[in-house]
Amino acid sequence: MADNQESQTESAALVTTTEVSAPVSQWLTSNGFEHEFLGLDKQGVPILKIDRQFLLPFSTALYAYGFNYMMYQCGYDAGAGDSLVSVYHLAKLTDEVINNSDRFEEVRIKVFLPRADPRCPSVYWIWKTADWQERETFDMYGIVYEGHPNLKRILMPEDWIGYPLRKDYVTPDFYELQDAY
Amino acid sequence: MVMKSENVGLDFSIEEQTQRLINPAEKPQVTQDLSNNVVLTTLNDLYNWSRMSSLWPMLYGTSCCFIEFAAMIGSRFDFDRFGLLPRSSPRQADLIITAGTVTMKMAPALVRLYEQMQEPKYVIAMGACTITGGMFSSDSYTTVRGVDKLIPVDVYIPGCPPRPEAIMDAIIKLRKKIGTEGFKERANLDRTHRYYAVKHEMKVVSPILTGQYLEMPSRMSPPQELVDSGIPLPALQMAQKEVEILGR
Repeated sequence: MADNQESQTESAALVTTTEVSAPVSQWLTSNGFEHEFLGLDKQGVPILKIDRQFLLPFSTALYAYGFNYMMYQCGYDAGAGDSLVSVYHLAKLTDEVINNSDRFEEVRIKVFLPRADPRCPSVYWIWKTADWQERETFDMYGIVYEGHPNLKRILMPEDWIGYPLRKDYVTPDFYELQDAY
Repeated sequence: MVMKSENVGLDFSIEEQTQRLINPAEKPQVTQDLSNNVVLTTLNDLYNWSRMSSLWPMLYGTSCCFIEFAAMIGSRFDFDRFGLLPRSSPRQADLIITAGTVTMKMAPALVRLYEQMQEPKYVIAMGACTITGGMFSSDSYTTVRGVDKLIPVDVYIPGCPPRPEAIMDAIIKLRKKIGTEGFKERANLDRTHRYYAVKHEMKVVSPILTGQYLEMPSRMSPPQELVDSGIPLPALQMAQKEVEILGR
């Protein structure tokens, strides 16, 4: 068992040390867009980590590169006290790809934001899909999308206090929310 | 022997016809006429029968339970035969079947709908979510744990979601409950005890749904850096076109 675990950690180390890269990442680096390559997910989609101040130029570059379709925008909490993350999943949709292949080029962007100051530029003007999805991420995690045309709560009541999907959120002790026994 | 023509009509079976021929004594005509034309009942029964035969439920569904409820409305399970006629207005309904999860955001609307219904009114809590919060009762920041915390419930239907047969069963049980009510008790329906409510000191605000959602000024003004970058973004072109159309 111990051997097995050891070999697993070894293989993990091998994976991290082996240079895995993606054409998008190389293209961005060659054009001077600084980012950190976080590896491929199990479906082979490259994950890039970007600083928030470069998100807008980065996004316009990716749009110019051909990523014209935002599949989703979401957020997650990396852990209590850790950063909040805004995630963008982009795809390259063309008539050729739709007609001739079952797989299109995808990329996932992650922007890590400090919990104390979770501001992030809005990509609404690049991909309009981001409109309601950024509103939902704001609603659930309190990430403030600067430049969003109408940033307000979309799912929770407008006077709700707190951001319920944060790991350190404490559910209020309302009578309606207490267990029914 | 006088054979009356109506006694040998085709409506009677052969045994009955021979029986009548052997023993042609007629039934007393008076009671037969009476029983065909006179109903003897109590006011209570008449009142309850008319009420429970025209239970009009409100079309209220907040999630998947309503799919089963909609199946109940359809011809296969056909709940019109119980006299249930779905109404879309609470003013016309006297039964509300809370089909689906009720959240903190929906709760005020549900209570308001219930209060708008005419007395006498009944509530059927349908599905696990409206009984205890269901699968959301373990860890949810917004699901109301049981709709009976908001409005009084007459019948609970367990299930996730319950089959239409279960709704049928609940309606029959509710009919039984209505059938045992007394005519004199209707005086108690006068609202002497209202729900506790604070006096609302609400301020009138302008409506948020104005039909101008896509035309709001913040959607017409893209950031200057993006415009200057010269990249043909569809959102930018759209904004420009909209500004031209609206003449702003």
